[in-house]
Amino acid sequence: MEKLLEFKNISKAFPGVQALDNVSFSARGGAVSALLGENGAGKSTLLKILSGDIQPDAGSVCIDGEDRRFASPYQSIKASVSVIYQERQLLGAMNVMENVFLDDLHEKFGIVNRSELKRKTQEIIDIFELPVKPTDIVGRLSVAHQQMIEIMKAYRRGSDIIAFDEPTAPLTDKEIAILFKLIRELKERGKIILYVSHRMAEIFQITDDIIVLKDGQLVTTLRTSGTNERELVKAMVGRDIGDTYSNLKRNEIMGDVLLEVKNLETDYVHDVSFELRRGEVLGFAGLVGAGRTEVMRAVFGADPIISGEIKLEGKPVRFKKPKDAIGSGIALCPEDRKDQGLILGRSIRDNVSIPVLSKLKRGLFMSYRAEEALAAEAVRKYSIRTPSTDKRTVELSGGNQQKTILGRWTSDKMVTKVLILDEPTKGIDVGTKAEVYQMIHDFAATGIGVIFISSELPEVLNVSDNIIVMQNGRVTGRVSRQEATEELVVAMSMLE
Amino acid sequence: MGAAERVKNFLKSKTFTLLCILVAIMAFFWYFSANHSFLSVRNITSILYSMVLFILFSIGVSLLVIFGEFDLSPGYVGTAAGATLATILSGTGIPWFLVMLICLLLGIVFGLINAVLVNKFRVQSFIATLAVGSFLAKGFSYIISGGRAIAIDHPVIDWLASYKLWDVVPVTVIISVALILVYGIVLAKTQFGRSIYLCGGNKEAARLAGLDPKKLSYLLFANSGMLGAMAGVLFASRLKSGNLDGTNSYSFPAVTAVIFGGISFGGGSGNMVGCFLGLLIINAFNNGLTIMRVSPNWTGVASGALLILALTLDYLSNRRVRRQIGGKTS
Ligand SMILES: Nc1ncnc2c1ncn2[C@@H]1O[C@H](COP(=O)(O)OP(=O)(O)OP(=O)(O)O)[C@@H](O)[C@H]1O
Ligand SMILES: [Mg+2]
Repeated sequence: MEKLLEFKNISKAFPGVQALDNVSFSARGGAVSALLGENGAGKSTLLKILSGDIQPDAGSVCIDGEDRRFASPYQSIKASVSVIYQERQLLGAMNVMENVFLDDLHEKFGIVNRSELKRKTQEIIDIFELPVKPTDIVGRLSVAHQQMIEIMKAYRRGSDIIAFDEPTAPLTDKEIAILFKLIRELKERGKIILYVSHRMAEIFQITDDIIVLKDGQLVTTLRTSGTNERELVKAMVGRDIGDTYSNLKRNEIMGDVLLEVKNLETDYVHDVSFELRRGEVLGFAGLVGAGRTEVMRAVFGADPIISGEIKLEGKPVRFKKPKDAIGSGIALCPEDRKDQGLILGRSIRDNVSIPVLSKLKRGLFMSYRAEEALAAEAVRKYSIRTPSTDKRTVELSGGNQQKTILGRWTSDKMVTKVLILDEPTKGIDVGTKAEVYQMIHDFAATGIGVIFISSELPEVLNVSDNIIVMQNGRVTGRVSRQEATEELVVAMSMLE
Repeated sequence: MGAAERVKNFLKSKTFTLLCILVAIMAFFWYFSANHSFLSVRNITSILYSMVLFILFSIGVSLLVIFGEFDLSPGYVGTAAGATLATILSGTGIPWFLVMLICLLLGIVFGLINAVLVNKFRVQSFIATLAVGSFLAKGFSYIISGGRAIAIDHPVIDWLASYKLWDVVPVTVIISVALILVYGIVLAKTQFGRSIYLCGGNKEAARLAGLDPKKLSYLLFANSGMLGAMAGVLFASRLKSGNLDGTNSYSFPAVTAVIFGGISFGGGSGNMVGCFLGLLIINAFNNGLTIMRVSPNWTGVASGALLILALTLDYLSNRRVRRQIGGKTS
């Protein structure tokens, strides 16, 4: 019998927002159903209701015609439902096998039988084709590998219903290919699969049905084969936004060299050299672990440098801490919003103002009005969905968190010469992505040099003026936008 | 934010819970104390007087706990400062203000040792400060005083110990209340105070956003040491002696009061109002028990019960909030 998952009249309110408003739809076994919608549309909330992490105000979840209400994730897991959350839930201090078998450790293994545990974990690692060992400490792995381990956790349980909340956001093409292979296999086995993503190309690659949400309401349900990107975006955003890349007003004027990095050597990267000009958008492409983030952290003073030379406007610089880099006009918007970006317990306002606190004072004291103005501007510019700037960032949807960090690093109180954006569009919706691309070129037009790291190839290729490709901590190629093709860049990032 | 919402937020806050407990305790002891003497000016002053040292210790510890660290040393540092004060004042002709300055510097040095252990050698602050306090500072007290109590006989110290404004309010009460007020404002309103909260929330994110958690850590440990030394000086002046046990026993109660006042471990939250209310409640409660002649054997148990009550109320009021945000605390 074909399996069936039904959401019936689900509503859920948080203080100041109606996250879900009377949403009903169903998902069938043997198919991948996409949940689509702007940031804050309610996708993650829906999945958390499915897993029993939060309780709906009204409505019910039915599995195979039977009303199921889970009081906790523990219960839903027992009922063969696995949700892979948008935010990683791993125990960083424990190793891979402990994380993968976390909820089963005592039941399956009694007094934990390490060699058995190790063998079983290795089997799953092999299926996922990952270069990690069962005994590796999870906190030391790259974000992408952590994400894959998160997915292993769910895969291992063999649940009938598996929901993925933006699984590919931290992944690069290599892992995505593996993930898709696994998803297809799960589909073949008749599982019900829910899939959330802001990457349109993926939706057409992997999904069969599409459910579109907007502001907590169901807009429409479609068959993937019967629709196209334009129609989807229109349903999500509520208007036609046209083609992102061809509508981009590019900055064409480039000045002299602004930032020069020569033979940079750190614990993670080797002999890295590049130049960034005023007004240039310099893309960095590569696979996970290629060292792009690490180069930028070293330039920014976040990691120690072993040797090499960095020149800003012709003058040698070497920053001991990020504070000094910011003081000299370098801004780095970090890749990992949860650990390195946001202070989750604090409000949007507090988070936006951190690097410019000293400019938001009246006499000795912080000026509420100046901070509020700055935060309100960020909320407006990136259309952050929130009832007020007082909201703690932990309560924002993933994409809105990302927008808050962007707001911090691009506020008009920042005096920036070099703007480094590390995966800036991770988890943000299509409409806002276009705005971010435009913002990048608007910044460039004012003479700022922008470094744009992204693992989404079409994005780096179309937005950047020049592209640097890295692999294994080294630069393996550089191309201009005119020369660059996906094949070429992929080849450069996988050279042996 | 509208006025109605502000009121609603206040009713949900820890400050409100603490105020309720305070009022309840006040009302209880007022009603049951002989001649309602609990709320007499004299008794209120005496409650405040019993809080003086705790306030000094707790300010330093509060800032550190909000910052995400911890300090168990200030009680011992206070003892060391008291012993130093007595030794130098009685043995040399160094003017009193220089001696006091030396004592404060001593406190700062101990604080900096804590900071070095925590930052350079990555020792957990709980362990580092316990070691620095109970071994280094304590040992220092013995060495400088030669292992015995040294009497202090000095007019300035006498004045500090006994002067009362309008013949009612001891000068040390004024000093401590003024200090907590100033620190409260600094914490709530200035860039410095904000940085403490932000670092307490997530040090790495704060660092990457241009704050300097390391520097702040040194400052806060030094500050806590200095306030501990200040408390030690006041304690010695009360006893007119540099005693070897000094303020050692104050370390844990100061931390308890901070937690009681709603400044939670893990950092990033709490404020000085809570800290002050927490201290006030604990001291008013003990004072009430004393004037009602409850046997001292029972006061410990009663204080414990009060602490448990406060933490439970806090949990209950927070659970409401927690439910609203969908099971996440952080
Ligand atoms: N714990 C919470 N407390 C308060 N509000 C919340 C909480 N969780 C979610 N919300 C709000 O509910 C709305 C829906 O959030 P949800 O996380 O479901 O969005 P989403 O569709 O997953 O967005 P994204 O694409 O950004 O991940 C948002 O406005 C969000 O701010
Ligand atoms: Mg989400």
